[in-house]
Amino acid sequence: MRLLLVQPSPFENGRLGLENVLWLSEPVALTSLAAMVRDEHEVRVLDMRLEQADALPRVLDEFRPDLVGVTSMTTDAYQAKAVLHCAKSILGSGVFTLIGGHHPTLAAEEHDEAYIDAICIGEGEETFLELVEHLAAGGEREALDGIDGLQFRRGDERIATGKRGQARALDTFPAPARDLLDAYAGAYFFGPAQGMVSIQTSRGCAFDCNFCAIWEFYEKKVRFLSARAIVDRMEAAPEKFVFFLDDNFLTHRGRMEELLDEIERRGVKKHWMIQGRTDFVADNPDLVKRFAKAGLSMVLSGYETNDQDVLDSLEKGATREQNLAASRLLNDAGVLTTGIFMVRPEFEEPDFERLYAAINEMKITIPLVVIHMPLPGTQSYRAAGDTLLTRDARLFDLLHAVVPTKLPRAEFYRHYARWNQATMASTRGSLGLGFLRKRPRLALDVWPGMKLFTRRREMVRRIMEDPESYLRDEYEIIGHDLEQVETPREPALQTQS
Amino acid sequence: MTILTPQAPPQRKETWLDRLEREVQTHPGVNHLLLSRLATGPYTRRDYRVFGLQHVALVGFFTRYMELLLLRAPSSTEKLWLAKVLVAEYGEGSDGDDHETLYRRFLAAAGAHEAEMDATPLCPEVWAFVREHLRITSQEPFLVGLGALGPGHEWAIPKMFAHIIPGLIRAGFSAEERLYFDLHTEQDIDHGAWMTEVLSLLVTSDEGREQVRRGARLSLEARYRFWTGVEREIVAWRQPVSMDAARAGLHVGGAVRASAQSVASPGDRRALNATVQDFRLGAPR
Repeated sequence: MRLLLVQPSPFENGRLGLENVLWLSEPVALTSLAAMVRDEHEVRVLDMRLEQADALPRVLDEFRPDLVGVTSMTTDAYQAKAVLHCAKSILGSGVFTLIGGHHPTLAAEEHDEAYIDAICIGEGEETFLELVEHLAAGGEREALDGIDGLQFRRGDERIATGKRGQARALDTFPAPARDLLDAYAGAYFFGPAQGMVSIQTSRGCAFDCNFCAIWEFYEKKVRFLSARAIVDRMEAAPEKFVFFLDDNFLTHRGRMEELLDEIERRGVKKHWMIQGRTDFVADNPDLVKRFAKAGLSMVLSGYETNDQDVLDSLEKGATREQNLAASRLLNDAGVLTTGIFMVRPEFEEPDFERLYAAINEMKITIPLVVIHMPLPGTQSYRAAGDTLLTRDARLFDLLHAVVPTKLPRAEFYRHYARWNQATMASTRGSLGLGFLRKRPRLALDVWPGMKLFTRRREMVRRIMEDPESYLRDEYEIIGHDLEQVETPREPALQTQS
Repeated sequence: MTILTPQAPPQRKETWLDRLEREVQTHPGVNHLLLSRLATGPYTRRDYRVFGLQHVALVGFFTRYMELLLLRAPSSTEKLWLAKVLVAEYGEGSDGDDHETLYRRFLAAAGAHEAEMDATPLCPEVWAFVREHLRITSQEPFLVGLGALGPGHEWAIPKMFAHIIPGLIRAGFSAEERLYFDLHTEQDIDHGAWMTEVLSLLVTSDEGREQVRRGARLSLEARYRFWTGVEREIVAWRQPVSMDAARAGLHVGGAVRASAQSVASPGDRRALNATVQDFRLGAPR
C-alpha cells in the first residue's frame, strides 16, 4: 500500500503562530507511525509547515496513496480536516482517510465528517499498524471493530472500538523513520538553534495540572525510553542540536543520572534542549551543573505566574520560590531559559505590570507570555461551560481570551500586547558576556541561525505588539464591534499602486 | 487489494476526454487547499466578503472570453456550439438575473457596499488570471482557447463551487444569497456536457487533443495562482498593516518555502473592466 502521512500547517500561509516562529520540531508522531509499517509499505511524510500549499494536491495526484493520515493539535484542527477533505476531493471515496493526535483524541465528536473514515484515539502506533494490515489484506473499511483505539464510520453510524492500552514499553517501538524527512533537513529549529533533531524520550506526565491535557491523553501513565536508546538516537542524528520533546523531561533523579552517565560514557557532544519543571531544577542544583557540562543548553518551563495563590489554584505543585531558584540556577550554569507565563482574563492593569516586573526579576532568556485559557480536553475546559465565548479551535492558541475579560477586550489586549517590550530587560539580564564565557561553543554553534531567528522574531513582534491583531482574529467569532478598531488592511481602503 | 483503489475504473475503454477530465478534476487549481479550507473551516461572512470582492472580478468576463473565441472559430459548426453556451452565460435560465446581478446579491449579503465592488483593489493574481485568458482566447490556437474555456472552466467550476457552498451554508448565507454558486454547480454541468460533445466532434487529431489539453492546463494554473491570491487576501485583512512588509521575503518556517509574492495591486475592478472591454483581437499582450 501507499501511505501518505501529513503534518498540517497550523494556519494559512502568512498567518502567524508561536509554534512556527519560535519552535518548529519534527513531526515525530508521523515518523513514529511510518516506522511501524515502512518495511511492508511505501510511506511518505509531507510537512505542510514547510511546503507550499500546492504540494498537497500535487503529491496526492502523483503518489496516489491508498491511505492519507493526518495528525492534529487543537489549533491545527481545521487545517487537518482540510487535508483529508482535499484527499477525498482528488482521490475519491476510495482513499482511506485517518486523523489522530491530541485534539481528535480529546474531541473526537468534532471529527464526525463524511470525508474522515476513521479517528485514531490515543497513542497511534499499534492502532495504525493493525489498521494498515487490515486494509492491505483486503479487509472491509467498515469492519474495523477488531482494532482497538478507533472510531470509524459504518454507514451513517460512528462506531467506537475498544480502548487501546497504552502500556507498551517505549524501547520496543522502532525508532522514528527520520529519513522520511530528508527533504526538510536543516529546517527544524528552536530559536536560533537551526538544524535540530527532535526526540521523544517519555510519554505522559505524573502531574495533573488542571489547565493541561497531557496527563489525560496518556491516562496519567508515564513511560520512559532507556538511557541507552536515547543516546543511540542522539548519536545517530547528524544535527548539533537535539530537542527532547517530552512534556516533562525532568521526571526523577535516577533517570536523569542514568542518562548523564550514558552521555558522559559515550562522549556525546551535542546541545540539547528540554521541557521541564522548575521545582525539579530548584531541588537538584548539583544536577543542573552536570546537565550543563553534558550539553544541556535550554530549559523550557511553565513558570505560569508570580502569584503563589494562582499557582496553587492551577494545582501546579510548584512554588514561586522554586521558580526564582530555578531561573537563577540555570542562568548561573549558562543554561538558557524559556519561560511561559500566563496572564489571566481577570487581569487589570496592575496585574500585567506586576507580572512583567516579576519576569524581569527572574531574568528569563526567552519569556513567553500567553493567555490562560481552558484548553479542550482539560478539566478547566469542562468547568468553563457556558463561559466560553467561542469553541473555534483557531482561537485556542494561548493568544486569545476565550472567556470574558474583566477589562474591556481592547484594553486587555493593549496591556497584553506590551509583554514583549515590557520583558526585554529579562532577556538582557540573562544573556551577556557572562553567558559567552560560560558557553562559548554553544554561542558559536547558534550564531549561524541567529539571522533567521532575528527575522522570524521581528515578524512575530510586529503582529504580537499590535493589539488590533488579536481583535481582528476574533471578529465575527467573538462578538465585538470591529468598527472600534482601525482597519488599514480593509481591501476597500488599500492604497493602489 | 481492490477496496482502496480510488474510483472504480470505467467499464468502457478510457478515451482522451476521460483522461483529460481526470486531469482537470485532480488539478491543484481545482483542489486548492483554500477550497478545502472553505469547505471544512468556520470562515465568517467578513471573510467571504474579502473572498467575494476579489472573485467578483472574474464574474462576467467569461462571456468576453467566449466572444473572443467565437470570432476565431474556424467554422459555423464550432460557432454554433460556442453560441449555445454563450447564450446561457448571458443569463438564460437564471430567471432574468444575469451572473453579475446574482453575484452582487451574494456580496451584499456578505456585507459589501455597492461601491466596494468596483473600487476594491484586486490582487495581482486576479489581474493575471484575466490577462492570461484574454491572451489564450486571442493569441493561442483556437483549440487551446477551447481547452481553457471548456475543460478549464466548465469542468472545473462545478467541483470548485461544490467545495465553497458548504462553507457559505456554515457562514449562514441563505439559498437565495448563494444562488450564484448553486446555479453554477448545476448549469456548468450541462455546459460541461455540451463541451464534451463538441470536443469529441471537433477534435480528431493528436495535435488538436494536445492543444485542448494545453489550454485546460494553462487555465488551471492561472486558477491555482488566483486562489492563492484570494487566500492571501482572506488572511491579510485580519493582520495589521505592518505585516505587509514582514511578509515580503520570509516564510516563518524557515529555509524550505520560497519568498512570499508581492501583494501590490495593479488596480481595481473598474480598471480591469476597462482593460477587458478595450481589449481587441490582435492587440498586443
